[in-house]
Amino acid sequence: MNALTIFAIGLGTAFLLGLLGERQKSLGYMLTLAALTFMSAVSASWLVVFAATGADSFDIFTAGTAPPFAINLRMGLIEAALTLLINLTGLFAAMHMGDALLRLGQRAMAVLIIAIMALCGIVLTRDIFNLFVFFELIVIATAGLVLLSDDDSALAAGFKYLIVSQFISALLLVGIIFAYHATGTLNIDGMAEAAAAIDPSVSGAFAIAFFLMFIAVVAELKPFPANGWALDMYEAAHPGFSAVFSAASGTAALYAVDKLLQIGGTDWLPVATGIGIVTFVGANLLALPQTNDRRLLGYSSIAQTGLILTVLGQQDIFGDDYFFIAGGLLFAHALAKAGLYWLSALVAGRTLPDWAALQSRPLLVFAFISCVAMLSGLPPFPSFYAKWELAHLLVAEGRSGLLALILFGALVEAGYLFRWFGYLIKRATPAESIACPAHQLLPIAAAVLGGWALGFVWGELSSSYFGRTNLLLTLPLFFALTFLLLDWLPAWVKNTLAIGGMVAFFSLTYAEYDPLRLIFAVIFLIGGAVTLLASYHAHGRRIGFYPAAMLMYAGMIMLIRASDSFGFFAAWELLTVGSYFLILRGKHSEPHALSYIVFSLGGAFLILAGFALAASAVPPAPTFEIAQLADLVQPVAPWVFLLLALGFMTKTAAIGVHIWLPGAHAEAETDVSPMVSGILLKAGLYGLFVLLMNMGKQSLYGVELTYVMLWIGAITALLGNLMAIFQEDAKRLLAYSSIGQMGYALFGLALMNHLGWLMALMFVINHYIYKSMLFLSVGGVAKRTGTREMFKMGGLITLMPLSFIATLIGIIAVSGVPPLSGFGGRWIFYNAILTADARLPMVLIFLSGPIAFLYLFRLIHTIFLGQLKDEHRRLKEAPFWIILPQMIYVALLMVVAVVPGMVLRHVDAYISQFFPDGALNWEGSTITSQFGYWNPVAIMIIVGVIFMLLFGWLLFVNRRAQKVKQFNFVFSAERPFRPETTHFAWNFFAPYRKAMGFLVQPFVTRFWAAVTDLLHTAADITRRLYNGNGQTYAFHFLLFVVAVFTFRMGM
Amino acid sequence: MAYIAMATGFLLVLIGFYGALTQRNLLRMIVAFTIADSGVNIVIVAIGYMRGRTAPILDATVSAAEAVQRIIDPVPQALVLTAIVIGVGITALMLAYAYRLYERKHTLDIAKLTDLQG
Repeated sequence: MNALTIFAIGLGTAFLLGLLGERQKSLGYMLTLAALTFMSAVSASWLVVFAATGADSFDIFTAGTAPPFAINLRMGLIEAALTLLINLTGLFAAMHMGDALLRLGQRAMAVLIIAIMALCGIVLTRDIFNLFVFFELIVIATAGLVLLSDDDSALAAGFKYLIVSQFISALLLVGIIFAYHATGTLNIDGMAEAAAAIDPSVSGAFAIAFFLMFIAVVAELKPFPANGWALDMYEAAHPGFSAVFSAASGTAALYAVDKLLQIGGTDWLPVATGIGIVTFVGANLLALPQTNDRRLLGYSSIAQTGLILTVLGQQDIFGDDYFFIAGGLLFAHALAKAGLYWLSALVAGRTLPDWAALQSRPLLVFAFISCVAMLSGLPPFPSFYAKWELAHLLVAEGRSGLLALILFGALVEAGYLFRWFGYLIKRATPAESIACPAHQLLPIAAAVLGGWALGFVWGELSSSYFGRTNLLLTLPLFFALTFLLLDWLPAWVKNTLAIGGMVAFFSLTYAEYDPLRLIFAVIFLIGGAVTLLASYHAHGRRIGFYPAAMLMYAGMIMLIRASDSFGFFAAWELLTVGSYFLILRGKHSEPHALSYIVFSLGGAFLILAGFALAASAVPPAPTFEIAQLADLVQPVAPWVFLLLALGFMTKTAAIGVHIWLPGAHAEAETDVSPMVSGILLKAGLYGLFVLLMNMGKQSLYGVELTYVMLWIGAITALLGNLMAIFQEDAKRLLAYSSIGQMGYALFGLALMNHLGWLMALMFVINHYIYKSMLFLSVGGVAKRTGTREMFKMGGLITLMPLSFIATLIGIIAVSGVPPLSGFGGRWIFYNAILTADARLPMVLIFLSGPIAFLYLFRLIHTIFLGQLKDEHRRLKEAPFWIILPQMIYVALLMVVAVVPGMVLRHVDAYISQFFPDGALNWEGSTITSQFGYWNPVAIMIIVGVIFMLLFGWLLFVNRRAQKVKQFNFVFSAERPFRPETTHFAWNFFAPYRKAMGFLVQPFVTRFWAAVTDLLHTAADITRRLYNGNGQTYAFHFLLFVVAVFTFRMGM
Repeated sequence: MAYIAMATGFLLVLIGFYGALTQRNLLRMIVAFTIADSGVNIVIVAIGYMRGRTAPILDATVSAAEAVQRIIDPVPQALVLTAIVIGVGITALMLAYAYRLYERKHTLDIAKLTDLQG
């Protein structure tokens, strides 16, 4: 079908609507929908043609004459896709705004159709003056459609928009006429040809003319900071129309800029890049302190448009990937923004916490988070694939600085978007439920499903052109996503499915892993399944839990299976997002989940940059295999090492980037804490293993990086443990203890010798077992007592004996005393440090051992021993399903303690290929190193005998002890102001705090708080530029024009 | 002659811009914009002007064959017509806006229409 029918239908319907009588509003509305559907169908049919046949684009002539004597239009794959996006946005917006359109009548409908038609015109036309005409049509239509809003301030917003548009159109018109004068044509392609061969005497004049056209069209993208008028529009307009303004108008204007850049040539690309990146970072920063949802979306729209403008400005290095990258970002942005604006219509309040109203509608929550993920460039959406290629190409061309700015902006954006999601999930739901009329839900569904579908398309493109994986076709992710469809099932059914799936996947694939990967695979899949046993205690449907948990496990297993950097990074992001959802489920975890996701995404961006840098240093190939890290040489290698190591250490919560962990792990649900602590942390260790295995020792400016890691590990171990001893909250205590334990593992890895690695692996296994177990038992206790504050508990040993046993076994294992597996770890560890020459950090590590004992002792002493609290007299043992995995862990600990060789000897042999020296000798039940031997069975027997003897003796001497009943004492006549201060378990280690408290001051927390404060304050000051006055905004625009002009001339 | 027209046009544009930026009354701002629009239109016409030629109308005095040598460039004239039409549309829309704003807010002062900020 001829593309001109888009215009014919648009104009025809608009006129027809004018002829209808006042009473025929419904008919008019039907006609409007029909026209927009038809226009969409035209675009869609062309898209199919171009996509299926790979045909070249072709020109459509008007007035029976070729250009430059008549206007010509061009239809191609890009044009078809963009007009389809615009037309569909128009169609769904019309559907969404049905009430408002019917109220205002046919004229409003006609204006909407004209606006959509004109947007298509901008995409299709190849004539510069025609472009101007379409822009003016859009100005008029936009100013009209703003009035669909119920918001009173829409009037003023529309007027401000008109003021600035007048300036823009004057500049555009003057630019066009002078460009015509210099080149003799109005045809864009003709002008581009003429501009390339322009006479030097007029090239200066032409440059100014081009500048005027360029800046006018760029102004349609609402560049920061000349965009106050646009923000008011976003805030005040009908959300149905804001979606058009953001998705469709932005798309058309971006394509117009692309056309202009063809005329301007490569000289103008840096200008586009500069404006784009300033807009991206600036608008994202200003979005931080926003409280109005639609204004925030406006800022985010402007930022995303800025990002795509940056990509347009970098097109010289993208080659064939240009449309893949720009398109991926553009479509993700357009669909997400349209979806979010349409969602905002369902929410009554205009502040961000008001969105908690959506909580009761899981599907809407899913829609929201899908949109947020699209905007944040998370897998499996198109923007993720685009982000990957973008980063690689930028680094390959040495434009890392630009990438750093992009990633910084993206992190800020993710920060405020996920903060918003946190409000949505955690804040109090308003009393009245939200109305969800079908005509408003359909557009949202279309946007979200479109986003997922495009994720598939981009995955296919990525796999056919670059040989990467289409993530939606990978089995683990597919499995995880099926739980979205199964979420209506009861929790126990889903739990069974989840466990079954994980075990089945393991039994299908276990033969594929080398010993190192096998250990991680067992922990992730089998360990994950054991932890999931605890989830049987949950009743009801537990909406949202299983998709999140399975996403995390899918990411983790994909991480192990990934052989190339793309698969690795995608898996990393998936497991990050999945675990974020899990953590967010905790009752008070909103701020902690936010800090987790921000730190994790920051770490992920470092990993992305590291991989991009690595790929740029090897011969170009479609994929970068992880093993190729070994081929890297100076000067790139240490930088890659640094970026990747920092990224992985964010996940293991090394000191400095550890502040997210305590809250995230402690506030998580009972069965989630073991998952995110016992299992998830291992993903970071796996990353470090892979890194060190392939890259070995690296030095940067003469500093050996593994030596720095050694120090970080030691300090983390010391401070993590030190912070743990001062906690009153049992789960927080365990969380801080994880920081310390990860410090040990990091230290072991950084030793870079055989035993160090073996010890790190021992920690991987042990930490999984005992931390999962402890979190479960403490979680079970907290569930029964209703508190996590240890001083509020006591004497639970008789009421919760199984929990007590688990905790006791757990702390024996953690503290590393014989006979349990912790001792094995310690033994290997002491052997390892005897072979290394780093004395000082070794001292720190030694110091942290006894400190660990302090907090562990407190755990058992305060919770299970001592006086039983009066209100706890009737407590029962923790639920069966929470106890069961603990008992499995107890058994496992025993097994690992007695026959550590079962697992470790294979790994020992495997590590020998990296460090041939220092392997252990496994003979029978005895393990020999160069410093001594260790016989776990003998130790177990000896310790057992000693224990029985002492225990018997204790019973014997205490046989006549008199039991002192509770309340056999008095405090005094009055109740103290803070009763806990009189409790022996409160501030248990006060003397130590006096001595070493200065070490655990929250310096790091304060540092990161200062960073966020600084960003917020800067944004708040800049916000004052936007004083609401239309004239000021016009003035901003003119200043912006002058600034860009100066920049361009100075280039 | 063309230069005088062009200079006048640019002067009008500047006057219009200045007025639009300094006048706080909505109606005065709209008038300022029409002045700027006229300035732009004069500039466009001035660009198309060629010394010593006639209007681009093919009739008895100018035949199609010799048109290229005798008439001025018709394109800017066509453009200016379109620009004028669009200008009228936008001016009308702005006037309607001013009217509605006055109805609702009882003021025509642009500095008082600042209910959206930041």
